[in-house]
Amino acid sequence: MTLPDRDAEAVLISRAQHGDRNAFGELVSLHHRGVVQVIYRMCGDVELAQDAAQDAFIRAWLNLHSFRPDSSLRNWLYRIAINAALDVLRRNAKTAEVDFEALSLPDLQDGPEAALLQKERQAEVRQAILDLTEAGRAVLVLREYGELSYQEIATALDIPLGTVMSRLNYARRQLKQSLQRHMIRKEIENV
Amino acid sequence: MSDHVFEWLGAYHDGELRGGRLHQVEQHLAECGACRAELDEIRGLSLFLQDAAPAEGFLPTERFVSNLMLKLPRRPELPLRRINLQIGWWLAPVGLLLALIFVNVTSVLSSAVSLAADAGLLGNGLPWVREAALQMNWFGSAMNLFGDQLSGPGQAILEMLNDANLFIARLIKPLFTQAILAIGYLGWLFAWWMRIQDHTTHTAQDSSRF
Repeated sequence: MTLPDRDAEAVLISRAQHGDRNAFGELVSLHHRGVVQVIYRMCGDVELAQDAAQDAFIRAWLNLHSFRPDSSLRNWLYRIAINAALDVLRRNAKTAEVDFEALSLPDLQDGPEAALLQKERQAEVRQAILDLTEAGRAVLVLREYGELSYQEIATALDIPLGTVMSRLNYARRQLKQSLQRHMIRKEIENV
Repeated sequence: MSDHVFEWLGAYHDGELRGGRLHQVEQHLAECGACRAELDEIRGLSLFLQDAAPAEGFLPTERFVSNLMLKLPRRPELPLRRINLQIGWWLAPVGLLLALIFVNVTSVLSSAVSLAADAGLLGNGLPWVREAALQMNWFGSAMNLFGDQLSGPGQAILEMLNDANLFIARLIKPLFTQAILAIGYLGWLFAWWMRIQDHTTHTAQDSSRF
């Protein structure tokens, strides 16, 4: 679903702030995909991500009165989403390790070996992201998957701009080390 | 090649650099193979992250929204403090305008009564108005205490001071009060205009970057 212009969204927000559930439902429809993606990258588990996304939207509904209409709803929701994901992770220790079997089925068109490699790569990426510190993971996920600017990340996480940059650099260095083997293999495949 | 720009490459890749820093990094990249290689690695990592972990198996948006609507608690009501703040925000200019009108009206009435008293139009009625209109409290006290001891020039100086003070009290004081109220009102208008501007700017620059 495409995002509406800010005026149309502002109208929906205003209606939702006055208790209009349908307006809130429309806002959820608009931001559901983005929020779920961010949460999923934070916790690496589809089931938990859906629970956390639901939790995040309920929190948003309950705290909608504190949302300032002159700020970005998407950034505000992402902030709630990050917190919801962290809460879910703390409650569920099982996500400390990625369930290899639970990963989505890869495309078998390229042959079973390629499919297996793809599945392995998915698991490695998820595990590498999960191995990051929570602070580093949040910044990385908002940048790489939420596509937020540094300024937006700083606002969403309430941290200085310089901290965003240093955390992102550190997280990327860590990921490069963890995923080096797979990245090299992929480069060879592409050659 | 010295002075590598490794720490800025991530921000460069993300399109977050501007001005002199961007120029510096671009210039350095043109000459430094190590930094170009590092930038390629960052790009590669970003692509790898996007490609390697597609998210699947989520509920479709419509179903998610339907489920959520069933679990949504009762409508959140605006907290009393926020309602009060909203009411206060809109009452502030009304209050300032009313105060301005009140000050103006009382000032005009007061001047009219004083003039009438000075001209003797009030006769012997309202003697306190005439008295109050002609002298300040301090002048009355000074004359009571030192009036007998003061010579003619001394009394004349005191009367001049009293007249000057009366002038300030009659003219400057209301003007000053009006200026304060007007500044308050203009301040509110400015704050209101800033809020609108802020919202407009935010709309135009949704993804602001430095």
